[in-house]
Parts: sequence; structure tokens; C-alpha cells
Amino acid sequence: MEIDWTTFALEIINFLVLVWILKRFLYRPVLDTLAQRRAGVERTLAEAREIEARAKALQEQYESRLADWEEEKARARGHLDAELTLERSRQMQVLGETLAEERQRNAAVDAHERQRIERAHEISAMAQAQRFTATLLTRLASPAIEARLVDLLLEDWSGLPEPQFAVLRGAAEAEGAGVVVTSAFPLAPEQQRRISAAVGARMRQLAVSFREDPQLLSGLRLSIGPWHLSLNFADELAGFAAASNHVDR
Amino acid sequence: METLGVLFSIGPFGITRTVVTTWGIMLVLGLGSWLATRRLSVDRPGLLQSALEGVVQAVEAAIAVVLPGRAGLLLPFVGTLWLFVAMANLTGLIPGLHGPTGDLSTAAALAILVFLSVHWYGIRSGGLGQYLRHYMAPSPILLPFHLLGELSRTLALAVRLFGNIMSLEMAALLVLLVAGLLVPVPLLMLHVVEALVQAYIFGMLALIYIAGGMQSQAAQEFPAAQEKGRTA
Repeated sequence: MEIDWTTFALEIINFLVLVWILKRFLYRPVLDTLAQRRAGVERTLAEAREIEARAKALQEQYESRLADWEEEKARARGHLDAELTLERSRQMQVLGETLAEERQRNAAVDAHERQRIERAHEISAMAQAQRFTATLLTRLASPAIEARLVDLLLEDWSGLPEPQFAVLRGAAEAEGAGVVVTSAFPLAPEQQRRISAAVGARMRQLAVSFREDPQLLSGLRLSIGPWHLSLNFADELAGFAAASNHVDR
Repeated sequence: METLGVLFSIGPFGITRTVVTTWGIMLVLGLGSWLATRRLSVDRPGLLQSALEGVVQAVEAAIAVVLPGRAGLLLPFVGTLWLFVAMANLTGLIPGLHGPTGDLSTAAALAILVFLSVHWYGIRSGGLGQYLRHYMAPSPILLPFHLLGELSRTLALAVRLFGNIMSLEMAALLVLLVAGLLVPVPLLMLHVVEALVQAYIFGMLALIYIAGGMQSQAAQEFPAAQEKGRTA
């Protein structure tokens, strides 16, 4: 149990050298690595904190913007609702007016259509009455009826007022024509004589001629120039038809 | 146990087996450190790197517990003490080798280094005058006791390590001689535990002594600061 001073001194030197070696090749590299890793972790943490802060700021900004948007949306919706209400009332008013106009127009169209239908019914009734009368008068046409009609014509002739006779006379002088008597059936001599006497009594210088026209069905037509004095079925039916046409117009 | 024999001489200096073994330990530690720290990765540490980082961090944490904020300063010395003493103690397990710490010269050299480092770090921490004054505290009468304490603890440090390791090796040798091949195995297991425990004790005592040297000045300054505060 002795101390070898050479060994003692060399061991001191050896240990100090070992301290340097381990410091150089073990502690420093490992500590540097740990420091780098720690710095990296700190850096990552700092970045994460920064990102988190940025994210929070963005979130706050987003939430603020969202709140603004919500407020703006609510405001716009209120404005839109007001506009819609106004527009709806306006449209309803316009629609009401349009409907009223349309109703009036429809009422006018309905009235016109009713009138047209009524007129068509009248025309149809008139035509039907004309056909019925024509059929009936055609069947009734006979010399006896014609004799009665001659009597009636002579009554009407004698009952005409003087101014009309003056017009007839003027027309006969202007045309230079006589009196033409047209009948549906041949007139008996007595009937011709009575007619000539009645005409001569009021229109002396005019000649009287007689003709027959079966289309008159029954009765007479007394013609002086452009003037006709009719009392026969054909002219009565024509007058009836003219009255129907007048109604149609 | 007598001093290990001289293997060869360099001039007037005889190189003993202890010194050669120490060089071998230095070579293993130095080469191993260089190889292990050649390609350290910051992002993807391997198994060996993780183990190294664990060891260094454990030593740093142990120092930081005793001296917070001074771990970086003391890590090279105290960490090397732990590693070297542990390696030196375990070297005795290898057949044909003797652990350097089983040599009183090595144990004394380490104890002297600890003794000197206590003063070195103490003076470095608070200055020479401040450091020397702590031997007078709390009374100059205690100066001889302080000096005696310094010497005795250094001596105890050396003898404790030397005695434990030498006795372990001697016990193992005696059991091996008496009981045959397999009986010493439990004793060798005990040797491993004892070697690590002794390394830990040696390093921890060194750390505590150094911390005592550095903190004794703070303890001296503290009453002065208290007095200053009272007068103000």
C-alpha cells in the first residue's frame, strides 16, 4: 500500500486529458445536439404559438366578419322584406286594377256576345217567320185572295194624300211612262176596269197597262216610273226580309 | 495490496500496469465517444445516441439538483469522474486486469484532483479573497478545523475508494482460490454493483465538496446582505 509518485502524477495528467477528450468528443457534441433539438423544439413551439395566435386572430376576424355579415344580412333582409311588402302591395294594386279592367272588358265582351246571340236569335226567328209566312202565303195564294187584295189596293190608292199624287204625277211626266199594273193571276175585265177608273180619276192623262207575274204569288203591284205601290205577297215578304236584314244590321 | 509492477520505463519514469490500464480506459472512452458522436442526428436519434444523451442528461440533472445553474460548468469534471471511476472499477472484472482504482496512487490522484477542483471552482466562483475568508467563518478559531476537515475528507475520499475496490478484488481472488470456478459469480455480481455504487459515491462526494466550496461564499454573503438590509 504505497504510492508510486510517477503513477500518481501520470494518473492526474491522464484524468485531465480524459476530461478534455470527453469534453471535446462526448459532452460538447451531445450537449450541442440537445441544444439544437431544444432550439428546434422551441422554434417549432414558437411557430406553433405564432400559427395558433394567427389562427386565433383569423378566427376572431372571421367571427367579427361573420357577425358583420349577419348584421348586414339581417339589415338587407329587413330592407328586402320591406321592398317585397311594398312591391307586393303595388303588384296587388296593379293586379286589382288589371282584374277590374279585365272584368269590365269581359263584361263588355259578354254583353256584346249576348247581344250578338240575341240578334242571331232574332234573325233566326225572323228568317223562320219569313219562311213560315212565305210557305203559308204560298199556300194561301189564290184568285179570291187576289180579288180581295185588288179591293184593298184600290182603297189604299184612293186614300193616298194629294201631295203623293203630285209626286207621282211629276215622276210620270219626267219619265214619260204610263201606269203598269202587274198581277200574279190574270185580272178579270171588271177588275181591270175598276183599276183603270181609279187610276184615271187621279192620274188622267196616263195610260194603264196590265201584266202578269206569278212570282208575286198573289196580289198587285202598281208601277209609275220609279214608284211602286205594292200589295202582293212577294213584295210583302221582300219587305219582311228587308226588315229582318235591317234588324241584322 | 502492493503497488502494481512497472511494465516499462520512459526515461526515469516507470510506467506501471495501472497507468497502461488507464490509457486503455481512456482509449476506449475517447474512441467510443468519437465513434458514437460522429453522426449525431437532431431529428432522428438512434439507440446509441439516445443512450448517450440519456447518460449525459442524467449527469447534468444530478449536478443541477445540487448546484442549479452550474451544471454546464461542472459537467466535464464530475461526469468524467463518474465515467472514469465506474470504468476503472469494472475493469477489475476482466481476467488479467486490475482496476486502476484498486491502486492507491490512482485513488490518491483522483482525491487530489477533487481537492484541487474544490478550490479551483471556489476561487473561480467568488474570487480568492472571498474564498479564503470562508475558512474564517464564522470565527477564525475554526480555521484549523476547516483545514483539518479539508485534508481528512480528501484522505477519506482516496482511502474509501481504494479500500473498497482493493477489498472487492481481493475477496474475489480469495473466493476463486478457495471455492472453484462458479462460486465467485455472485461475488462478481456484487462487484459490479459495488463498482457502480463506489463510482457514484466518489462522484457525488466530489460534487458535494465542490458545491460546498462554491456555496460557502454565498452563505457568507447572505448574513452580510441581511445586515446591509437591516441598516438601510
